[in-house]
Amino acid sequence: MDPVSTTPVAQSGMLLAGSIAALASALWLLLPKASDTIASRRVGALLGALALAGFAATGRSLGCVGEDAVFLTVAAVAVVSGLATIVTRSPVYAAIWFAMALAGVSGVLLVLGAQFLGVATIVVYAGAILVMFLFVLMLAQPSGMASYDRVSSEPMLAAAAGAVLLGLLTLSIGRLSAAEPAACCRMPSRVEAAAAAATGTVPEASPLPAESGGNEVAHLGAQLFGRHLFAVEVAGVLLLVALVGAIAVVSRGEATEADHRREDR
Amino acid sequence: MNLLPSPAIIAALVKIGLLVGGLMTAAAYLVLLERWIAAWVQDRRGPNRVGIPLTKIRLFGLGQPLADGLKIILKEDFTPSHVDKVLYNAAPLVILAASLAIFAAIPFGSVLPPLGIPGLPDPVPFLVAPGLDVGVLWVFALSSIAVYGVLLGGWASNNKYGFLGGLRSSAQLVAYEIPLGLGLLGVVLASGSLRLDTIMNAQAESGVWYAFAQPLGFIVFMVASFAEAARLPFDLPEAEQELVGGYHTEYSGIKLLLFLVSEFLHMITAAFLIVIMFLGGWHLWGVTGAEQDIGWIQALLRFGILSAKILAVIVFFMLVRWSWPRFRFDQLMNLAWKVMLPLGLVNLVTVAAVEEFRPQLVAALGPGLAKTVAILIPWVACIAGWIVSGVFTPSGTDNTPILTHDPLDIERELADHERRERALHDDSTTELAGSR
Repeated sequence: MDPVSTTPVAQSGMLLAGSIAALASALWLLLPKASDTIASRRVGALLGALALAGFAATGRSLGCVGEDAVFLTVAAVAVVSGLATIVTRSPVYAAIWFAMALAGVSGVLLVLGAQFLGVATIVVYAGAILVMFLFVLMLAQPSGMASYDRVSSEPMLAAAAGAVLLGLLTLSIGRLSAAEPAACCRMPSRVEAAAAAATGTVPEASPLPAESGGNEVAHLGAQLFGRHLFAVEVAGVLLLVALVGAIAVVSRGEATEADHRREDR
Repeated sequence: MNLLPSPAIIAALVKIGLLVGGLMTAAAYLVLLERWIAAWVQDRRGPNRVGIPLTKIRLFGLGQPLADGLKIILKEDFTPSHVDKVLYNAAPLVILAASLAIFAAIPFGSVLPPLGIPGLPDPVPFLVAPGLDVGVLWVFALSSIAVYGVLLGGWASNNKYGFLGGLRSSAQLVAYEIPLGLGLLGVVLASGSLRLDTIMNAQAESGVWYAFAQPLGFIVFMVASFAEAARLPFDLPEAEQELVGGYHTEYSGIKLLLFLVSEFLHMITAAFLIVIMFLGGWHLWGVTGAEQDIGWIQALLRFGILSAKILAVIVFFMLVRWSWPRFRFDQLMNLAWKVMLPLGLVNLVTVAAVEEFRPQLVAALGPGLAKTVAILIPWVACIAGWIVSGVFTPSGTDNTPILTHDPLDIERELADHERRERALHDDSTTELAGSR
């Protein structure tokens, strides 16, 4: 499939603009607002589905979306769950949808052969951070009618900005893939890479050279603690500061409690 | 497009079928084993009546799992009216799917001898997903997904017991994931791989199981996996004497069955991990050998040894259940944060130091003596860490209540009471003032 020469650029541009408009209005209709009706949300859902189909078609015509059924499934799960996260009314359901989105992202990473990142996404985000969120949400039981919790503050601006951002990303990734088809479009999946390795033909512009065997994690580790050591150390110091801060806050609370007791005596 | 699946896919499907079938049967029979052991510990007979159906043959009660399973499946699948229907139905599915998917990365034997089928890698590994390089992390990730089943089940039930069970469970699992990870990191550091089969091979090749090379890591990992599996000293999420059934109080019929099966699967997973990472997996000195090209007898022998070790660990789990009382929640948290976390760190640092200086040790002492010293250093660290933690956190598992004042101090009680009354009074007056 040669995406660039056969696709009229103007056509995909029109398609993209239409998708952006549709997505923006769909998001505006779907986001929690003070004046909500079932009908407007249904229209929003329909428009949203159309917009996503439009984005997918744009991606295909720009040559960024392949035919891998597994990839398409997990990508669709990630995108739809991401949308559902922001439009759902119940905080607990929003957290669950976010977990689904993370599962989709992790699936995308696994399909692309980035096993460590895929699994680490689940361990760190879904396994630790989101469980904490859920814990707090369930303790707080935010099912009351506080308007600031249940109504997004700037639905129109947010919807428009989000849709435009998504359109720009699609466009720039499409440009990238047009300029360098090997880097974006022809990222070989694991299966393809294994097949290529079995037949002895290694694809030339493979983005993940160290994909076979246990090299991938070692490669990542070497990169992190070699080229990016400074960033890792800075992140470590940052986390340490947060830790010390948390302990300082907690122990100050304890001290005041003790002070109370002393006063009582 | 080739519609016929490749031999690799067929092999994976066969492995999945064998594994799921084996695990489900094992879970059913482990329930029977648990009841037998409970009966043995409590000096009674236990289930010994049900044998072959429609006959009078008793067969030591081996038909019990079938009868239990039929009974619980045929029970009414009752959904209370006050639950959140979607999450109530999703929770058992999430927990079972996650607990089964964990086994994609867990090897259940060594390798099969070459079968000679074109398209299959030779020799065939006893592992569903041999291409996964991050097996240990996969296990971690999926077991953290299983937490969702517990949390959602507890929350969706809309019941105070279920809710408390879910909250306790999430706090406990999040807390014990850290010592679990620290225990695991020591093994990863020593073997240099995140693959469970490579970890087993490393132990078989050196002949030193990591339980001997990292005693402290073994203890920390063992305790943390008891907590992760919510087995008895740590079974606060479903403490039946106080929470009815914890997060699955409102469930019945097949959904309850899914929860109970997943609990047993968690225990089996924990046993698998303990055996694979610390007890040498399929390796036994002088019996199995360590090489990869083996015959059928060797392959079956290794499978048998691995299974026997796992059964032994599970029996240990069950004996512990009937030997220890349940922790109080503050003791549980003290144990995790004040005892297990520092011990895990000590283990990690010791292992890192030993691995870093192993070449110098070998150069200075010769390979034989260096191996002994490399085992002795962690043991010294283990004993020292044990003593220090015992001296400095004596209340970690102490059962005496922590009193801030003398319980018979009447004056203080009165002062407290007065202060509370005053606070209450102040609050209500300010509220009244605010409403006006």
